[in-house]
Amino acid sequence: MIQETLTVLNRAGLHTRPAAMLVKLAAKFKSDIYLNRDGYDINAKSIIGVMTLAAEQGSELILTTEGTDEQDAMTELKALFESGFGEL
Amino acid sequence: MSQFDRIKTIQKENISVNQLLSSPVQLTTVVGGEGLENLIQDKNLHRPQLALAGFVDLFTYHRVQVFGNTEIYYLQSLKASDRIKAFEKICEFAIPCIILTNNHTLEQELLFILEKKKIAVFSTPFETTKTIFLLSDFLDDQFALQIALHGSFVDVYGVGVLLTGRSGIGKSEIALDLIERGHRLVADDLVMFTKKRESVLMGTGTNLSQHFMEIRGLGIIDVEKMFGIRAIRFQKRLEIIVELEEWNKNNEYTRTGLEEAPLNLVNVDVSSVKLPLFPGKNVTVITEVIALNYLLRTYGYNAAKVFADRLQEQINVRRLHKSSTHDQRLVSYFQSDDE
Repeated sequence: MIQETLTVLNRAGLHTRPAAMLVKLAAKFKSDIYLNRDGYDINAKSIIGVMTLAAEQGSELILTTEGTDEQDAMTELKALFESGFGEL
Repeated sequence: MSQFDRIKTIQKENISVNQLLSSPVQLTTVVGGEGLENLIQDKNLHRPQLALAGFVDLFTYHRVQVFGNTEIYYLQSLKASDRIKAFEKICEFAIPCIILTNNHTLEQELLFILEKKKIAVFSTPFETTKTIFLLSDFLDDQFALQIALHGSFVDVYGVGVLLTGRSGIGKSEIALDLIERGHRLVADDLVMFTKKRESVLMGTGTNLSQHFMEIRGLGIIDVEKMFGIRAIRFQKRLEIIVELEEWNKNNEYTRTGLEEAPLNLVNVDVSSVKLPLFPGKNVTVITEVIALNYLLRTYGYNAAKVFADRLQEQINVRRLHKSSTHDQRLVSYFQSDDE
């Protein structure tokens, strides 16, 4: 299991389009992937779940990946967060 | 790849004058004979007012010529000899046929000229405007672009849904399931679509297949006989195409439904949904939901958009108030009845 804290960088926050990007990317991996905010563990492969986070710019989310491809999942998802979902 | 990439269109180049008799303007033949074999190559109509007056430079003679009050009274206002002259002039052209509105007739000698020139003449009880409206619509349909698509076409809650996908994926079975749930089959397997006006595709079955369908392992069944008249309809506008395919992890499927990717068929945009299949998935129910969601969108409610807007609103609130411990519950306090 890998855990890392990621920050939402883009101004608009984790709105619908970035949420969809995140979910599509997460769904490619076999690992279980969770995002945690305020104690809620949310399945990163669920669009409604990810949108429920309503993560604004600057908010911090704990990403957990667990499974055979947990390292790849973490690397790629981290890169997506760092790219500001293509909105920087 | 998919059948939509290689659509063949069918369009009539001409129809025989004879076929006008099946139009809704209740034509009676005044002069028939060989003229009935003439070919109509244009869906437009023409009123030959100026041609009768002698100006034939731009005379669109190849169209169906409609004689209304203007033409008839103009001819009556002429001397008998001039009338014949005017008529002989326009009869030099290969007119396919003439339609007299308001039950008008022409003098015997004029009809004789027309008969000699093999020009068919009909009369209709309708007035000119109505005749032109009805005939244009009829000819529009006769000359309309047609395409044949492979799939099951079902009316689901009044929405025309075409189920497509490779042979054997289960289109007919889903159609059957939909029929069982009270929806109506338009056609199975081969569906003929006709372009109506500029933005509508109307679908119907073929003469032969009607409401017969093949179910794998069972053979051919007759849906109308089996489920009754409520299970079928003859035509329906195409509104959504549901493309069924085996679940493929490399294909991307929409997660929000915000992106719309309509399919363009003969310049008509048709909503489409790519539906991945896997065991245990109830495609029938999903198809119903697709139809209902289409209806909601048509009537102005887009769930994906409403959700996205709410999300945006919440993100904005959080950015302003920096409140991290938000209660995520829909109801913030459970009342004491514990129900």
